[in-house]
Amino acid sequence: MATKAGLVCATLAITALLGAATFTTTTPSPVWAQASTPLAPVKVGVRRITETQYRHTIADVFGADIKINARFEPEKREDGLLAVGSSHLSLTASGFEQYFALASSISEQALAEPRRATTVTCAPKDVRKTDEACARQFVGRYGQQLFRRPLSEAETAARLKTASVGTQQSGDFYAGIKLALTSLLMDPDFVFRMETAEADPANPRAYRLDGYSKASRISYLLWDTTPDAELLAAASSGDIHTSAGLHKQLDRLVASPRFEDGARAFFADMLQLDGFDNLIKDPATYPKFNQAIADSAKEQTLKTTIDLLVSKKRDYRDLFSSNETFINRYLASVYKVPYSSSNEWAPYTFSESSERAGILTQVSFLSLFAHPAGSSPTRRGVKVHEIFMCEPTPEPPADVDFSKVQDSSKGTVRGRLLDHMENTGCTACHRRSDPPGLALEHFDGLGQLRTMENGARIDVSADLDGKKFEGAQGLAKYLRDDPKIPACLVRNVYAYGVGRPTDERDEDYIADQTAAFASSGYVLPSLMAQIASSPEFFKPVIPRLASPSAAAKPL
Amino acid sequence: MSLRFNRRSLMRGLLGGAGVCVGLPALDTFLNGNGTAYAEGAKLPTRFGTYFWGLGLTDTPTGGTRWVPKTTGAGYEITPELASLKSVKDKVSVFSGFRVIGDGRPNLVHWSGHASILTGIAPAGSTKFDGPTFDTKIADAIGGGTRFKVLDVDASVSRKPVSYSTRTGNSFATSETTPLALYERIFGEGFQDPNSDNWKPDPSIMLRQSVLSAITEQRQSLMANVGKADQVKLDQYFTSLREMENQLAIGLQKPEKCEACVVPPPPKEPHRSASVDVVNANTKAMAKMLAMAMACNQTKVFNFVHTAGSSETYIAGDSKIYHQITHDEPTDAKLGYQPMTSKIAGMVMQAFGDFLVEMDAIKEGDGTLLDHSLIMGFSDTGYAKIHAIENIPMFLAGGANGKHKAGQHIAAKGESVTRISLTAQQLVGAPVGEFGAGGMKTSRPITEVMA
Repeated sequence: MATKAGLVCATLAITALLGAATFTTTTPSPVWAQASTPLAPVKVGVRRITETQYRHTIADVFGADIKINARFEPEKREDGLLAVGSSHLSLTASGFEQYFALASSISEQALAEPRRATTVTCAPKDVRKTDEACARQFVGRYGQQLFRRPLSEAETAARLKTASVGTQQSGDFYAGIKLALTSLLMDPDFVFRMETAEADPANPRAYRLDGYSKASRISYLLWDTTPDAELLAAASSGDIHTSAGLHKQLDRLVASPRFEDGARAFFADMLQLDGFDNLIKDPATYPKFNQAIADSAKEQTLKTTIDLLVSKKRDYRDLFSSNETFINRYLASVYKVPYSSSNEWAPYTFSESSERAGILTQVSFLSLFAHPAGSSPTRRGVKVHEIFMCEPTPEPPADVDFSKVQDSSKGTVRGRLLDHMENTGCTACHRRSDPPGLALEHFDGLGQLRTMENGARIDVSADLDGKKFEGAQGLAKYLRDDPKIPACLVRNVYAYGVGRPTDERDEDYIADQTAAFASSGYVLPSLMAQIASSPEFFKPVIPRLASPSAAAKPL
Repeated sequence: MSLRFNRRSLMRGLLGGAGVCVGLPALDTFLNGNGTAYAEGAKLPTRFGTYFWGLGLTDTPTGGTRWVPKTTGAGYEITPELASLKSVKDKVSVFSGFRVIGDGRPNLVHWSGHASILTGIAPAGSTKFDGPTFDTKIADAIGGGTRFKVLDVDASVSRKPVSYSTRTGNSFATSETTPLALYERIFGEGFQDPNSDNWKPDPSIMLRQSVLSAITEQRQSLMANVGKADQVKLDQYFTSLREMENQLAIGLQKPEKCEACVVPPPPKEPHRSASVDVVNANTKAMAKMLAMAMACNQTKVFNFVHTAGSSETYIAGDSKIYHQITHDEPTDAKLGYQPMTSKIAGMVMQAFGDFLVEMDAIKEGDGTLLDHSLIMGFSDTGYAKIHAIENIPMFLAGGANGKHKAGQHIAAKGESVTRISLTAQQLVGAPVGEFGAGGMKTSRPITEVMA
């Protein structure tokens, strides 16, 4: 009875104990304490992998037909990029549940018949019993692909134990290794990209990124996935640290059709196309809008961008002026053009009279940066500056005097914004942010062409930095000639690859890379390879180490 | 071993070895005469939740207001924008006149207000908070013993799931954003009906535990030579892992029967729109689900977002969103306030009223779920037209198991919002004596509302 009485009270206490379980960590060696001892490796980056990186990795490792059905953790955009935000994200409790269910489902599929034969390349001596040699081979192979580096003996041993427990309980070798695989898929070393710096043999008092971390950086930049066998081999042999070895890999990756995956992931991030996942429009105002339109708009922009910049290797700046694009049946209804192709997508070139010019006049940009039931010149203008010119708009002042800004249910929205521009607290930003948006006002909140609003003609003239232009086509020409446009792309590619925003120390580097980009004729694949071959791309930023006492603190 | 069979041993026999049902605890015979506690002396557990909505409530430029009651103390009068609280007003305390004290940090619009209320620190930048939010401390203190330490819910139909709950300041909780998703999280896979008669432990749970222990074993080497910022992320990862382990451990225990627990049917997926009618319908549906999650002993803590800081809600068919209207709409000269803004504020508050009514509809013990809960309702601004972080409307609803002297209006003259945050933490029994930093640091709860 006494035991049972204890249990009554212990029920809540058990979980309290679990919650309060303490962990200790070993004292980090004082890495720079003594110049004579070699520098100890240090982790220089922990980035949560993105949804597309996760999907590409699983497809590469287990097969493209593995079903991935889960809600991924929301990503966070910082300094314009999710790739930068991913350096600050962790896994929340509800995210953990989701990833755990997903990991179990992936290992279930990977080890189900008939795929099992390709997933497991060794055969257990007795399928009802533990076979350590075969399990070890299995854990080593998938561990290396998922962790992007070989596993340590301790990491392997922990999985062999899981596999052995599972096999003993179920009497099935495969049930055991399935658990080991789930454990690899849930490990922080898979969920996060961990980059490690090591002592540079050429200069033992300095750090360099280790070979596997370099392999991951270029693989995720150029292919948006885990390094393949050849890249891992170059890391293992050290070839990746030589100029010839690095260039060989970069040339191979850029020349591959898989480079498209890398470029798509980059532009989906830079152009903020993730906004389409949850975009909503007021059904009364835009009855045409639905998820098929949203998905199509995103795909149109990616298809156009990849076709122009990767397949045709055109000048990056043509993105703003070229009217060559692709449409499908859904988009044809928004653009109000006929669609006669029997294919899902068809090439299409907008006419001069369509008032369209480049990607800013595609449904994607116009509908993403608008209100649920209206356009928004300010949002669009802010995004033109932020996305394409790397000029973020400061937060609006809190104490704006709105007394002059009156109701705009009459006339066009321009009147309201002109009031903003005259307000002393607002003028500095709105004079910059609004003109590009005002030039796009012939397109409503869904991206449909219009010329009138509330019965008044819409004026699309704009003036930015003393340059006057008219409408979307005028804006396109303005942007195509602005030197900030290619410099901003360079900045974004670099920040995207290294996972941190650029700062003033990077200015010379960005300027040099921009000059090289110009001399290449503003060709995207050359730019990405050029950045990935520069020493700055691999320069580790050594963090302040966590103090041992903080690390040992109970959470 | 005594073979004597008395009331005490019966209690032990029935409740021993299984989770104490926090929903409706067994039969009245097990409760003391007042029905407020187990005969053994264990109180019905206290639940805690936050309820956030964007864009505050309406003040008038001349100093008047559409929401602050004129009378203070108990029995305050219902003002136009508080109309939805009428039926539960005796269970709700209203706090007016509290403000954010930024110590020179800028007022980051639609961010500084709730960041300060939740962390006690005026934030330096508008993408993160400068500390953990206090709901995580409460979850750590009282959230054990149930499947979910906390449930995060967002009814706003925003572009991104909205959550203001964070352990690191950077990674915010991932909210459930539809009634169906919330339903599946609570009552889908892994849910064990406490009232089912044929409970059997699921042997696969132990296998799943071994998956996680392989990861935990590597924690030491993983944390070695990690920078400070990365350590925070990995700590959060391991916190989440432990919550998963906790969930698995609870799955191995036979759940105690809960009379109030009635597994609801799956809700229909509503039309996706951020218009206020849809958001309010979501709120009601999700409130039902959350209330049942607590009645069924699945969680004790939740965070609920009605609309985000810079709310995107609107009246269906109107080309202007509420946010824009709060700024643009002129003050009506005759009325002395912004009529449209105030009208939408009332609609937004309707959802809060409905939410509390749902919590109050579940009977447990001698009262209702609301009586055993404390819900802090709050917003990002006071008067939204000027992004005021003064007079931010805040509420404490529910009896907190008799600890909250509810039904009062507390009017302050520019005191720190953190006093209410501290009060909330102390009312639910979190071991906190002090909260906030700089000018918002306080060790003074609002004792008028503490029993």
